[in-house]
Amino acid sequence: MAHTFRALIAKRVLFFGGKGGVGKTTCASAMALAASQAGKRVLLVSTDPAHSTSDMFERPIGPEPVPLLPNLHGLEIDGAFESRRYVANVKEHIKGIFGHQILKEANKQIDLAASMPGAEEMALFDRIGALIRGEDDRFDLVLFDTAPTGHTLRLIRMPELMEAWIRALSRSRRAMLGIEQDDATDPVMLSLGERLEHLREFRARLLSPRSCAFVLVMVAERLPIEETARAIEQLEDAGVTIGGLVVNRVLPETSPDPFLRARHEQEVIYLDEIERRFTSHLKVRVPQLASDVHGVKTLEHLAGLLIKEKVLS
Amino acid sequence: MNIRAEARRLRHATRVSRYDHPVSLGKNIRDFFHGAAYGAYERELRLQAAELNDLFLLLCYMEIVGLPNPATLYLLDVYPYLLEQFHQWHRRMGMDRSPLGTLPCC
Repeated sequence: MAHTFRALIAKRVLFFGGKGGVGKTTCASAMALAASQAGKRVLLVSTDPAHSTSDMFERPIGPEPVPLLPNLHGLEIDGAFESRRYVANVKEHIKGIFGHQILKEANKQIDLAASMPGAEEMALFDRIGALIRGEDDRFDLVLFDTAPTGHTLRLIRMPELMEAWIRALSRSRRAMLGIEQDDATDPVMLSLGERLEHLREFRARLLSPRSCAFVLVMVAERLPIEETARAIEQLEDAGVTIGGLVVNRVLPETSPDPFLRARHEQEVIYLDEIERRFTSHLKVRVPQLASDVHGVKTLEHLAGLLIKEKVLS
Repeated sequence: MNIRAEARRLRHATRVSRYDHPVSLGKNIRDFFHGAAYGAYERELRLQAAELNDLFLLLCYMEIVGLPNPATLYLLDVYPYLLEQFHQWHRRMGMDRSPLGTLPCC
């Protein structure tokens, strides 16, 4: 287990997740910046359909990697775009293999299937899988700024599910081929086999404690604490390594303002609860800053706070 | 070239299967016994293969019968290969034309 947040930079894949509004994008961006300044080539990927990394870096980011800063690229995954690209790839792939008549019918079939509900999510999943497998070798670290917890947990469960599904399919196909013909040359079998191989690689990387970790961001309040506890349970159940917890927006201890003091008194109770409930996990507290975080300057400041050597654990 | 040679050449060119070749009595007898011994067995195998084939088709085209298929997108590039099997299926089921509007075949 990593003993500091700085050590997390050495991973290949990092996820930042948590309840909506706790500062996932902010922390993920700060971490990406810290890693890029430490000499890693970083790709910051936003999987939340409501992207906000472009607002954070104050420049447009699209569905393809865009250079943001030295060593740092940004990418905002778009389901519709991925699904279109996937379909275009498939059509291109089969173009040279089949005759005109079959192509016409197959293309109709493919367009129909691609418009099914779930196709976009599936294409998105495929892209994330490719990124996690390290398909793009321009990057040392792929850092995901995820959508709120529920969506992400499903995404993490998906390779397992898909693998089982494809395996059942290829078993059925093999049983049939065993009778009729050789399965080493069957194009359907080859295609299924390749998918299976990719899914296996995806899952292996996702579950490897050496290469992948999940960072949960929360604030010291009732609901985020409960959601974090649930997320940790489910992630560990799925076999994903928890890299650490970020307790965001911790209020200053002394304040002349009675309102802030009252908030802080309540917060202390929750902070104690966090210490008690998440004893085995690495935790870092990020103080509430005087201004909100956007743009490179404030991000750098936050990055310093995130990966400072002294952590509470 | 005489007519007899031409006829022989034509006959040779229009042969469609190995059964069109003149075969020796020995081969005929061998084929007969092979059929008698294995015919039923091979038929059983063919039926079994057809059934497995149908199962596979069902798994690939689940949406058509209203079941969600998590792997739809991953099957896109095998669809063209399956069209031929789909054709065999609807013929086997005694339908000259594709019964599914969403899956045009013939």
